[in-house]
Amino acid sequence: MSSLRQIAAILKKDIISELRTKEMLTSMFLFVMLTMVIFNYAFGADRNNLTPFGGGMLWITFLFTAILGLNRSFVHEKDEGCLEGLLLAPVDRPVIYLGKMTGNLIFLSVIEIVTLPIFTVFFISHNYFPQIGWFIIALILSNLGISATGTLLATISINTKTRDMMLPILFLPIIIPLLIGAVVSTGQIMAGTKNFESVYSSLKFLGVYDIIFLLISYGLYDFVLGE
Amino acid sequence: MTFSPDLFGLKETKKITTEIDVVNLNKSFGKRKVLDNVSFQVKKGGFLSIFGPNGAGKTTLIKILSTLVAPTSGKVLVSGISLDDDPTLIRKKIGLISHSPLLYPDLNAYENLKFYGTLYQVPHLEKRINFMLDKVELSHRRYDLVRTFSKGMQQRLAIARVLLHQPAILFLDEPHSGLDPHAVDILDGLINDIRGDHTFVMITHSLEKGIALADVVMILENGKIIFYQEKEHLDSDKFRKIYIQTVKGES
Repeated sequence: MSSLRQIAAILKKDIISELRTKEMLTSMFLFVMLTMVIFNYAFGADRNNLTPFGGGMLWITFLFTAILGLNRSFVHEKDEGCLEGLLLAPVDRPVIYLGKMTGNLIFLSVIEIVTLPIFTVFFISHNYFPQIGWFIIALILSNLGISATGTLLATISINTKTRDMMLPILFLPIIIPLLIGAVVSTGQIMAGTKNFESVYSSLKFLGVYDIIFLLISYGLYDFVLGE
Repeated sequence: MTFSPDLFGLKETKKITTEIDVVNLNKSFGKRKVLDNVSFQVKKGGFLSIFGPNGAGKTTLIKILSTLVAPTSGKVLVSGISLDDDPTLIRKKIGLISHSPLLYPDLNAYENLKFYGTLYQVPHLEKRINFMLDKVELSHRRYDLVRTFSKGMQQRLAIARVLLHQPAILFLDEPHSGLDPHAVDILDGLINDIRGDHTFVMITHSLEKGIALADVVMILENGKIIFYQEKEHLDSDKFRKIYIQTVKGES
């Protein structure tokens, strides 16, 4: 119970700070919008032709947006020395991980909720609203994997001199399997597939990936924050 | 030459009165040895002032005592608890005031204290926050963002943050640096208020302040204790000479 309160305190602190500065959300939102504009000019405005590539376009955009957010998520902790304050508190290290990870998950989800309708209008011709439940499950599982892995790697990279470069270098190779699952599941739903077997197996894969990387990150966080 | 705290018979009464017990502590970063076979004790309610030139290992020592850095070898007991056994329990009993206030600039004073108070699970948190804000004379700025505070005000709020959970042991890493005279008075007043009930370990470059507050003084140089003495037996001139020599050696 006390751990839940501590996780909630870390999450609340991150949300209040972000709502005051809007640094992370603004940069993430602008990046998504710019990417969509570039896609629109690069691929033309024929939505029928673009729908099969919707999953790939969507997750390339969201993945790099997530990296932007993850890079910012430990800025105060590092620049203001507040990480030391967190580490001095009688809080188990995995509690810090869960608090920060939940924050990253929420910020990424907020950006997706705001930008997804715009993306759909621009690039998707099929009405996938009847399958929106499956789409949301795919989105949540993908976001969870990105946040679980990204928070651990952002913590590692924050202690390096080239932290902005280090995170993508560490993050992208590890996230590729999840990216494939996310692209396949959401792409097929957006394209209006009748074959849900392939979507189910992609969702199952995303779930397994999430569990594995949540457990690995949870277990390693004490070591990562060691010194 | 190393000085052993055993000279003062501290070990005989260790079980009852020792709050911090450091035995043969070593710390290396790569090939560089930062602490070399350091051993000392601090009595419950005692005040140890640590002096030494830059790079002597003082801050590393405090970081080890406050569980932020793991030792390479040696034994460290804080409140009778080994660093390896239960660091979380040790963290409940300690507070650290360092150069940096460890405050979130985009939260206000109240939100910062509430955040840390929740992490420390401070009982009757609202009352305690009000009390501490009064103590550091920041009640009138409680809803102002910390980024609008001066350095002195941030340090006063940092003092409130550290004392919020009523730690039994306080580590002070050059606590007076960067403070205006008013903040220095508040800090010294708070230290005097809680002297006796709390154990202090302070790093300082101010001979006057360090000696005035201390029960025991220690000089670290190149990771070794080169001077360790209780204040009542202290020859101030000799101490001053040794300290100046170590600092000159550095420069």
